Amino acid sequence: MVDLTLEIRKTAKELLEKGEAKVVLGWEKGNFPYSTTPVFIDKPEDTERLIWDEYCINNLALYMLDYKHLDGKVGIFVKGCDSRGINRLVQDKQLDREKVILIGLSCPGMKDEKKAKELGPNADIPMAQKCQDCRYPDPVVYDVFLGEKQNKKVPEKIDTSDVEEMETKSPDEKYRFFTTNYEKCLRCYACRNVCPACNCKECIFDQTATGWLAKANNVSNNMFFALTRAMHVGGRCIECGECERVCSVNIPIMLLNKKIIKDINFLFGDYDAGLETEERLPLGGYDYTDPEEFM
Amino acid sequence: MSVNEVQQNKEVEQNWEPKILVFACTWCTYAGADLTGLSRLQYPPNIRILKVPCSGRVNPQFVIKAFQKGVDGVLVAGCHPGDCHYTSGNYFTRRRFLLMRRLMEYIGMEPQRFQNRWISAAEAPKFQQVITEMTEEIRTLGPNRKLRDDQW
Amino acid sequence: MLVVLKAKLKDILNTLAEEYKVLVPAKIEDTSKFISYKDNVDIILDENVKLSPKDVFFPQTEKMYKMKTVKTSMELENITDEAGKKLLFGVRSCDMKSLDCFDQVFLTKGYIDEFYKNKRDSVVTIALSCSQPMQTCFCSAMGVDSQKAVGADVQAYDLGDKIGLEAISDEGSKVIELIKGQLTEEGAEVPQPGEFYLKVDADGVSEKLNGMFESPIWDDVSKKCLNCGACTYVCPTCHCFDISQEVRGENVTKYRCWDSCMFGEYTQMAGGHNPRPTKKERVRNRFMHKLNYFPDRYNMLLCTGCGRCINVCPVNLDITSVIKQIKEAE
Ligand code: SF4
Ligand code: SF4
Ligand code: SF4
Ligand code: SF4
Ligand code: SF4
Ligand code: FES
Repeated sequence: MVDLTLEIRKTAKELLEKGEAKVVLGWEKGNFPYSTTPVFIDKPEDTERLIWDEYCINNLALYMLDYKHLDGKVGIFVKGCDSRGINRLVQDKQLDREKVILIGLSCPGMKDEKKAKELGPNADIPMAQKCQDCRYPDPVVYDVFLGEKQNKKVPEKIDTSDVEEMETKSPDEKYRFFTTNYEKCLRCYACRNVCPACNCKECIFDQTATGWLAKANNVSNNMFFALTRAMHVGGRCIECGECERVCSVNIPIMLLNKKIIKDINFLFGDYDAGLETEERLPLGGYDYTDPEEFM
Repeated sequence: MSVNEVQQNKEVEQNWEPKILVFACTWCTYAGADLTGLSRLQYPPNIRILKVPCSGRVNPQFVIKAFQKGVDGVLVAGCHPGDCHYTSGNYFTRRRFLLMRRLMEYIGMEPQRFQNRWISAAEAPKFQQVITEMTEEIRTLGPNRKLRDDQW
Repeated sequence: MLVVLKAKLKDILNTLAEEYKVLVPAKIEDTSKFISYKDNVDIILDENVKLSPKDVFFPQTEKMYKMKTVKTSMELENITDEAGKKLLFGVRSCDMKSLDCFDQVFLTKGYIDEFYKNKRDSVVTIALSCSQPMQTCFCSAMGVDSQKAVGADVQAYDLGDKIGLEAISDEGSKVIELIKGQLTEEGAEVPQPGEFYLKVDADGVSEKLNGMFESPIWDDVSKKCLNCGACTYVCPTCHCFDISQEVRGENVTKYRCWDSCMFGEYTQMAGGHNPRPTKKERVRNRFMHKLNYFPDRYNMLLCTGCGRCINVCPVNLDITSVIKQIKEAE
């Protein structure tokens, strides 16, 4: 991955020097061996800060929202999940594809930062959950590609065994599971803010005055948040797992997202969000032949 | 004892009656409910009807909010597919709530508590039947405590 | 020093539980925080809790009072806290320091916040020294002594397989008195803390910030911030709140709940104007408040170096890097 770091720097430097991009988004090393942090490079000499290692986990796509009105192009490094995030934003008309230069990187799977913290520097650090579940480690869209594609063999269908297991439980068991989890929710909204599917200019949860969701933190309000968020990203969630990764209190958020993905696949046909930019979203369209259960 | 059961005993004692919120589209189901009354078809007085322009107007928040505020069941009803006054509103409704019903069941809500039906302006007997059945189903389940925001 | 074997800690807590409502640092539901002590709780002593004890004194949602309309007038009803003394066992020095910060805000300068005061007055604290700082800790750089907490009633020391106890206040002596029979006298020394991984030099950062409101570093620092509330909600010193009400027919409950300067709504005004419209202003406020405004007003930093914000930030926006950047800025 070290070689690729050099290539990354070179590519970014060229883009900036030639003036093709005004700014380049990538990762730089954080304060710990197991941390990286997003970096925004606008001077060729700063490209030395860029790195590529097994902790470049952040999905950078959502930052494109900050550059919507930039006069000029943005260069951005994309792994598989980031690239799906970009498609997501383009599909939602939040981003002009012409204004980004996508530099594709094939992702070997990133390591779990939280585990690395716990296990210490010498331990064998497992792959992050989101990367274990990833089905598109190679970017699905890019303008330039660095390194080699790994064409890793990935499962064709999303693994929903954990969802299925949950489904077999009794209503009260399920309710207890989700409420004990969401009882801890701080409503810090990190999960929403990191999400490339959550790109509303004004989110329902930022409008307390409308009365939909009060700021009071209790399990009922937190469930309102959880279910509403899950429905809102229904059909738009790209399974990047960022929400669950960043949760301040480790709520298994993907159990909700994956349930909806599973049902969409079953009810309306297989759909992987973020693979293309033109099709109608599952909940943004309909079919006369959709299953009929409301007779 | 489950969350529901503990509270259940308390409320049953106080002559609990199911409380059901019906989101009725103004063009079909609401008219159907009107006709039910005009035709003197009796149905249990356990529902509160909230008129919406189209079943497509009902979004997930409406449903969750209703449970938060203390209803025991929610019914979303509108025109039959093909009959929506706005051509396609109910097709969107159908997709949205096919998913949401499953999600609600998934987090532990009994499926009987959140239902969807197509009821036309002419289907007074169907309105009567749906309301009667749903009321009975919910009576059997008892009061709903799930998702309820009752600590104030 | 009076000591007890860690293996016998629960015996002591059991004794104390007869007198106090004891709260202990424990693992719960894949996170950790202070919870009511019971025999079966999973107490953690080798690291600090992920969620700070601030909610004991300043709950995330706190009911203040109730109102009821009666014909044309209104009745007010106070909400009283549950009676009885609480005992907080195992608070680290950084979190004790944060209580010092809270005290400044809620109890000084001529204004007493009764809601806070009631809770504060009912809590007795047993602070616990840290033998090995966690990787994200940097309390010493913020002037906190990890071996000796400020304002504790009892100071406990981590002595390996034992815990040493020392009464500090009168209230603390009463606590020791209760458990004296279960402790043994030993010639133990106050232990030396381990090495800190994060090296921070915060000297002079407050003064340096005086002229830096318009500094370009805020653009730079804030770019990656997502404006979530994670850092402020886990922070033991962040104390902003919003007051709101729940209206149920004629009954109104006024409550306050945590708010965060990272949120756009925080400074949103009724007319629609927002004086902190973008992340730049919000991030600047967070650091200015912690490192400049607060020291200015209360003569202490509003950061205790607990490292929690570093731990939760989704994008690793690290306050120690920000301090460094401030100090290096021209
Ligand atoms: S939670 Fe819903 S309203 Fe908020 S940003 Fe996401 S999709 Fe938009
Ligand atoms: S909901 Fe979670 S997994 Fe889905 S796109 Fe958003 S952050 Fe990624
Ligand atoms: S990140 Fe976790 S704690 Fe924060 S709002 Fe989302 S679910 Fe709740
Ligand atoms: S700013 Fe961060 S390190 Fe400082 S007290 Fe708050 S959470 Fe701890
Ligand atoms: S936790 Fe990080 S991303 Fe979230 S508001 Fe704080 S600094 Fe910004
Ligand atoms: S108008 Fe009745 S469902 Fe659309």
